Amino acid sequence: MRDENPGRIEMYFKRSLDSLSEISEFLEGFFTRQGVGPDHLESVTLATEELFTNMLKYGGGEAEILIGLERADRELSVSLTDFDVDEFDVTKVPEVRVDRPLSEREPGGLGIHLIKKMMDRIEYEYVDRRGKTTFVKTLDG
Amino acid sequence: MLDIRLGDNGEVALSGRLDAAQAPRVQQFLDGLAEPRVIDFKELEYISSAGLGVLLKTQKRFEANGALKLINVSKHLGDVFNYSGLDQIFNVELVEAE
Repeated sequence: MRDENPGRIEMYFKRSLDSLSEISEFLEGFFTRQGVGPDHLESVTLATEELFTNMLKYGGGEAEILIGLERADRELSVSLTDFDVDEFDVTKVPEVRVDRPLSEREPGGLGIHLIKKMMDRIEYEYVDRRGKTTFVKTLDG
Repeated sequence: MLDIRLGDNGEVALSGRLDAAQAPRVQQFLDGLAEPRVIDFKELEYISSAGLGVLLKTQKRFEANGALKLINVSKHLGDVFNYSGLDQIFNVELVEAE
Protein backbone atom coordinates (compact mmCIF):
# COMPACT_ATOMS: atom_id res chain seq x y z
CA MET A 1 0.00 0.00 0.00
CA ARG A 2 1.28 3.46 -0.90
CA ASP A 3 0.12 6.45 1.09
CA GLU A 4 2.59 9.29 0.61
CA ASN A 5 -0.25 11.74 0.01
CA PRO A 6 -3.08 11.48 2.56
CA GLY A 7 -5.58 12.42 -0.15
CA ARG A 8 -4.50 9.54 -2.36
CA ILE A 9 -4.05 5.85 -1.72
CA GLU A 10 -3.87 2.66 -3.75
CA MET A 11 -3.82 -1.04 -3.06
CA TYR A 12 -3.81 -4.33 -4.96
CA PHE A 13 -6.55 -6.90 -4.44
CA LYS A 14 -6.72 -10.58 -5.35
CA ARG A 15 -9.11 -11.55 -8.14
CA SER A 16 -11.62 -13.14 -5.81
CA LEU A 17 -15.02 -12.37 -4.35
CA ASP A 18 -13.30 -12.87 -1.00
CA SER A 19 -11.62 -9.51 -1.63
CA LEU A 20 -14.94 -7.65 -1.37
CA SER A 21 -14.86 -7.37 2.41
CA GLU A 22 -11.27 -6.10 2.27
CA ILE A 23 -12.25 -3.55 -0.38
CA SER A 24 -15.14 -2.40 1.79
CA GLU A 25 -12.77 -1.88 4.74
CA PHE A 26 -10.24 -0.13 2.48
CA LEU A 27 -12.90 2.34 1.34
CA GLU A 28 -14.31 2.85 4.81
CA GLY A 29 -10.87 3.66 6.23
CA PHE A 30 -10.20 6.21 3.51
CA PHE A 31 -13.62 7.83 3.88
CA THR A 32 -13.19 8.07 7.63
CA ARG A 33 -9.77 9.74 7.26
CA GLN A 34 -11.25 12.12 4.69
CA GLY A 35 -14.28 12.91 6.84
CA VAL A 36 -16.70 11.87 4.09
CA GLY A 37 -20.18 10.82 5.20
CA PRO A 38 -21.74 7.34 5.14
CA ASP A 39 -24.18 8.04 2.30
CA HIS A 40 -21.33 8.56 -0.14
CA LEU A 41 -19.47 5.58 1.28
CA GLU A 42 -22.35 3.22 0.51
CA SER A 43 -22.82 4.38 -3.07
CA VAL A 44 -19.07 4.40 -3.81
CA THR A 45 -18.67 0.95 -2.24
CA LEU A 46 -21.49 -0.34 -4.40
CA ALA A 47 -19.98 1.13 -7.58
CA THR A 48 -16.57 -0.30 -6.68
CA GLU A 49 -17.98 -3.77 -6.04
CA GLU A 50 -19.94 -3.74 -9.28
CA LEU A 51 -16.87 -2.80 -11.29
CA PHE A 52 -14.59 -5.23 -9.45
CA THR A 53 -16.95 -8.20 -9.91
CA ASN A 54 -17.40 -7.19 -13.54
CA MET A 55 -13.63 -7.44 -14.00
CA LEU A 56 -13.63 -10.88 -12.35
CA LYS A 57 -16.37 -12.11 -14.69
CA TYR A 58 -15.32 -10.59 -17.97
CA GLY A 59 -11.75 -9.29 -17.61
CA GLY A 60 -10.05 -12.59 -18.28
CA GLY A 61 -6.85 -11.44 -16.57
CA GLU A 62 -4.90 -13.18 -13.85
CA ALA A 63 -3.10 -10.31 -12.14
CA GLU A 64 -4.31 -8.59 -9.02
CA ILE A 65 -6.55 -5.56 -9.55
CA LEU A 66 -5.25 -2.18 -8.45
CA ILE A 67 -7.72 0.14 -6.74
CA GLY A 68 -6.81 3.78 -6.27
CA LEU A 69 -8.73 6.37 -4.24
CA GLU A 70 -8.24 10.09 -4.50
CA ARG A 71 -9.85 13.07 -2.82
CA ALA A 72 -9.40 16.41 -4.52
CA ASP A 73 -11.47 19.26 -3.16
CA ARG A 74 -15.13 18.26 -3.67
CA GLU A 75 -14.46 15.27 -5.87
CA LEU A 76 -13.74 11.73 -4.83
CA SER A 77 -12.45 9.41 -7.52
CA VAL A 78 -12.01 5.65 -7.55
CA SER A 79 -9.98 3.91 -10.23
CA LEU A 80 -9.75 0.19 -10.90
CA THR A 81 -6.91 -1.01 -13.10
CA ASP A 82 -6.94 -4.48 -14.63
CA PHE A 83 -3.67 -5.69 -16.14
CA ASP A 84 -3.09 -7.76 -19.27
CA VAL A 85 -6.72 -7.88 -20.32
CA ASP A 86 -8.76 -7.30 -23.45
CA GLU A 87 -10.42 -3.94 -23.90
CA PHE A 88 -13.74 -3.54 -22.10
CA ASP A 89 -15.05 -0.01 -22.11
CA VAL A 90 -17.68 0.16 -19.42
CA THR A 91 -18.85 3.56 -20.70
CA LYS A 92 -19.99 1.92 -23.94
CA VAL A 93 -22.11 -0.81 -22.36
CA PRO A 94 -25.67 -0.39 -23.68
CA GLU A 95 -28.26 0.93 -21.26
CA VAL A 96 -30.47 -1.70 -19.65
CA ARG A 97 -34.19 -1.20 -19.56
CA VAL A 98 -35.24 -1.09 -15.93
CA ASP A 99 -38.89 -0.41 -16.65
CA ARG A 100 -39.72 -3.87 -17.95
CA PRO A 101 -42.19 -6.20 -16.23
CA LEU A 102 -41.02 -9.15 -14.14
CA SER A 103 -41.40 -11.62 -16.98
CA GLU A 104 -38.82 -9.67 -19.00
CA ARG A 105 -36.39 -9.00 -16.18
CA GLU A 106 -33.41 -11.30 -15.66
CA PRO A 107 -30.97 -11.38 -12.75
CA GLY A 108 -27.73 -9.69 -13.74
CA GLY A 109 -26.86 -6.74 -15.92
CA LEU A 110 -27.76 -4.16 -13.31
CA GLY A 111 -24.28 -3.46 -11.99
CA ILE A 112 -23.05 -1.07 -14.68
CA HIS A 113 -26.44 0.62 -14.73
CA LEU A 114 -26.20 1.32 -10.99
CA ILE A 115 -22.68 2.78 -11.37
CA LYS A 116 -23.93 5.16 -14.05
CA LYS A 117 -26.91 6.19 -11.93
CA MET A 118 -25.02 6.72 -8.68
CA MET A 119 -21.73 8.24 -9.85
CA ASP A 120 -21.27 11.62 -11.52
CA ARG A 121 -18.68 10.69 -14.13
CA ILE A 122 -17.08 7.55 -15.56
CA GLU A 123 -13.94 7.40 -17.69
CA TYR A 124 -12.12 4.52 -19.33
CA GLU A 125 -8.63 4.28 -20.77
CA TYR A 126 -6.90 1.32 -22.37
CA VAL A 127 -3.15 1.34 -22.91
CA ASP A 128 -0.76 -1.61 -23.40
CA ARG A 129 -3.46 -4.14 -22.46
CA ARG A 130 -4.10 -2.27 -19.24
CA GLY A 131 -7.71 -1.25 -18.69
CA LYS A 132 -8.38 1.51 -16.22
CA THR A 133 -11.86 2.62 -15.25
CA THR A 134 -12.30 5.70 -13.09
CA PHE A 135 -15.51 6.95 -11.61
CA VAL A 136 -16.01 10.23 -9.81
CA LYS A 137 -18.44 11.21 -7.09
CA THR A 138 -18.99 14.89 -6.36
CA LEU A 139 -19.29 15.47 -2.65
CA ASP A 140 -22.07 17.65 -1.30
CA GLY A 141 -21.46 20.90 0.50
CA MET B 1 -20.56 -10.41 7.18
CA LEU B 2 -24.09 -11.43 6.49
CA ASP B 3 -26.64 -13.31 8.53
CA ILE B 4 -29.93 -14.75 7.31
CA ARG B 5 -32.51 -16.48 9.49
CA LEU B 6 -36.23 -16.91 10.04
CA GLY B 7 -37.55 -14.33 12.51
CA ASP B 8 -40.12 -14.78 15.26
CA ASN B 9 -43.03 -13.97 12.93
CA GLY B 10 -41.88 -16.20 10.11
CA GLU B 11 -40.19 -13.41 8.22
CA VAL B 12 -36.78 -13.75 6.62
CA ALA B 13 -34.43 -11.48 8.55
CA LEU B 14 -31.30 -10.28 6.79
CA SER B 15 -28.48 -8.51 8.57
CA GLY B 16 -25.08 -7.24 7.50
CA ARG B 17 -23.87 -6.83 3.95
CA LEU B 18 -25.33 -8.66 0.97
CA ASP B 19 -22.54 -8.50 -1.60
CA ALA B 20 -21.59 -10.82 -4.45
CA ALA B 21 -19.62 -13.07 -2.10
CA GLN B 22 -22.65 -13.63 0.16
CA ALA B 23 -25.33 -13.84 -2.55
CA PRO B 24 -25.04 -17.63 -3.16
CA ARG B 25 -25.71 -18.35 0.52
CA VAL B 26 -28.79 -16.14 0.52
CA GLN B 27 -29.98 -17.73 -2.71
CA GLN B 28 -29.62 -21.17 -1.17
CA PHE B 29 -31.64 -20.11 1.87
CA LEU B 30 -34.41 -18.53 -0.19
CA ASP B 31 -34.50 -21.52 -2.57
CA GLY B 32 -35.33 -23.63 0.47
CA LEU B 33 -38.52 -21.69 1.21
CA ALA B 34 -41.70 -23.50 0.24
CA GLU B 35 -43.73 -20.31 0.26
CA PRO B 36 -43.03 -16.58 -0.08
CA ARG B 37 -42.25 -14.73 3.13
CA VAL B 38 -41.81 -11.14 4.15
CA ILE B 39 -38.13 -10.14 4.03
CA ASP B 40 -37.00 -7.82 6.79
CA PHE B 41 -34.21 -5.42 5.80
CA LYS B 42 -34.00 -3.73 9.20
CA GLU B 43 -30.47 -4.93 9.92
CA LEU B 44 -29.28 -5.00 6.32
CA GLU B 45 -26.65 -2.34 5.69
CA TYR B 46 -25.79 -2.92 2.06
CA ILE B 47 -26.96 -4.67 -1.08
CA SER B 48 -25.33 -4.87 -4.49
CA SER B 49 -26.67 -6.05 -7.84
CA ALA B 50 -25.80 -9.64 -6.91
CA GLY B 51 -28.22 -9.38 -4.00
CA LEU B 52 -30.86 -7.80 -6.21
CA GLY B 53 -30.46 -10.74 -8.58
CA VAL B 54 -31.13 -13.19 -5.75
CA LEU B 55 -34.35 -11.38 -4.85
CA LEU B 56 -35.43 -11.18 -8.49
CA LYS B 57 -34.92 -14.90 -8.97
CA THR B 58 -36.96 -15.58 -5.83
CA GLN B 59 -39.70 -13.24 -7.03
CA LYS B 60 -39.91 -15.15 -10.30
CA ARG B 61 -40.31 -18.42 -8.40
CA PHE B 62 -43.19 -17.01 -6.37
CA GLU B 63 -44.67 -14.88 -9.15
CA ALA B 64 -48.13 -16.41 -8.81
CA ASN B 65 -48.27 -15.20 -5.19
CA GLY B 66 -47.78 -11.54 -6.03
CA ALA B 67 -44.96 -9.19 -5.15
CA LEU B 68 -42.48 -10.11 -2.44
CA LYS B 69 -42.80 -7.76 0.51
CA LEU B 70 -39.56 -6.13 1.67
CA ILE B 71 -39.92 -4.23 4.94
CA ASN B 72 -37.81 -1.77 6.94
CA VAL B 73 -35.79 -0.81 3.86
CA SER B 74 -33.45 2.13 4.55
CA LYS B 75 -33.48 5.18 2.30
CA HIS B 76 -30.10 4.28 0.83
CA LEU B 77 -31.19 0.74 -0.05
CA GLY B 78 -34.49 2.14 -1.29
CA ASP B 79 -32.51 4.26 -3.75
CA VAL B 80 -30.82 1.12 -5.08
CA PHE B 81 -34.24 -0.48 -5.70
CA ASN B 82 -35.43 2.73 -7.30
CA TYR B 83 -32.45 3.10 -9.64
CA SER B 84 -32.78 -0.52 -10.74
CA GLY B 85 -36.52 -0.26 -11.33
CA LEU B 86 -37.11 -3.08 -8.86
CA ASP B 87 -39.27 -0.87 -6.67
CA GLN B 88 -41.88 -1.57 -9.36
CA ILE B 89 -41.39 -5.33 -9.03
CA PHE B 90 -41.26 -5.75 -5.26
CA ASN B 91 -43.48 -4.30 -2.56
CA VAL B 92 -40.84 -2.10 -0.91
CA GLU B 93 -41.69 -0.56 2.46
CA LEU B 94 -39.19 2.05 3.53
CA VAL B 95 -38.30 2.36 7.19
CA GLU B 96 -40.08 5.27 8.81
CA ALA B 97 -37.87 8.29 9.40
CA GLU B 98 -37.13 8.88 13.08
